[in-house]
Amino acid sequence: MPTNERGANRPRTNALTERRTPWGGIGFFTAVGLVAVAAVVFAFLQTRPSQADDDIKGVVVHDGLSRNHTTDPVDYPDSPPMGGDHDPTWQNCDARVYDAPLRNENAVHALEHGAVWVTYRPGLAADQVAALARRVRAVDYSLMSPYPSLDAPIALSAWGRQLKVQDANDSRIDAFLAKYVKGPQTPEPGAPCTGGKDTP
Amino acid sequence: MTEPVVTRPVVTRPARGRRAAVLLAALVLGVAAALAVLPLLRSGHADADSPEAGFARDMSTHHAQAVRMAMDIRDRTGDQAVRTLAYDIATTQSQQIGMMTAWLDEWGAPKTDPRGPMRWMGHAGHGGAQAAGAESMPGMATPAQLRALDAASGRAAEVLFLRLMITHHRAGVEMAKAVLTRTGDEQVQRLARSMAAAQQSEITLMEGMLAERSAA
Repeated sequence: MPTNERGANRPRTNALTERRTPWGGIGFFTAVGLVAVAAVVFAFLQTRPSQADDDIKGVVVHDGLSRNHTTDPVDYPDSPPMGGDHDPTWQNCDARVYDAPLRNENAVHALEHGAVWVTYRPGLAADQVAALARRVRAVDYSLMSPYPSLDAPIALSAWGRQLKVQDANDSRIDAFLAKYVKGPQTPEPGAPCTGGKDTP
Repeated sequence: MTEPVVTRPVVTRPARGRRAAVLLAALVLGVAAALAVLPLLRSGHADADSPEAGFARDMSTHHAQAVRMAMDIRDRTGDQAVRTLAYDIATTQSQQIGMMTAWLDEWGAPKTDPRGPMRWMGHAGHGGAQAAGAESMPGMATPAQLRALDAASGRAAEVLFLRLMITHHRAGVEMAKAVLTRTGDEQVQRLARSMAAAQQSEITLMEGMLAERSAA
């Protein structure tokens, strides 16, 4: 009868009662187990955020900057400043292009709110300025202004982070904006880019 | 169960044992593959170009302007109905910006796209040359309109605010509906649905308020 075919014709084997060591089975399941472990490790690695691998070449870091409000002029160690004490009123940074230099103390407050400040040396070619302005107008929480004493054609500043570049089409500009606009360096996440100082 | 246990050495590997082993192995491998692939699927949200990330970024920018206009009108009028509406918009939409920012944090997605807004809805061009400004986003007030609002006061400011905010809300409802057709993410759907419903009802309210003021 079909129901008995297997049982009747073949002796039953049992790993516990079998005399020979089932090396084949052990090897097979060991391999399967290794694959499973590898998959779990891979899955674990995938879920971990990869922070270290997107470092932007040339970014200067300045940590430990103070954050007091003052209406007095502030002497900043960096030029342009990338943080420190600042004016109680922030410079508006709603994708804003200013055509005159800004007061450092107001711009630094915008950095505290998570903005990226794009500055350029006066005299930069018009097409370079236009390329920068196009970027800034597309990016809320960014602002742009000329910076007379700048020692590079272009500088991008976020709170405690700065990148100086020679060319407005440098691909690191977009990378810097994507990483630092409202980025993890922001001392005051959620603070506005409107309602502050609206003119240079 | 019916047969006695056989201890005789087996010459050939039993077919049933092999089948069970293959089945078990397939099961283990299947689970392992699922474990490996699931995080990859989930990290689809982290993609800077996903509709969810685009929506979170652009709606944050859109909301930020609504908050600004609402705060502006509260400085420009003493009318209680308009001030209450503005308070509602400013506080609600600030809160929602925070929610969307937290999503982007969680997804590891950037808070901005320098290539320009609205690309997830198929608007604007790609690449740098045509990158559109934030004011090109549907429903956004232009810098000139914002200056006009800042310069106005009383009834004139209320009428201008209501007109600008109705336009702003209409585009907001459209954006919320657009992401609903593009996402399966429940938390995104929930917020987008509540935005569409709340802003739609505020549009009706503002149209009534505008009619009262225009008719007078």
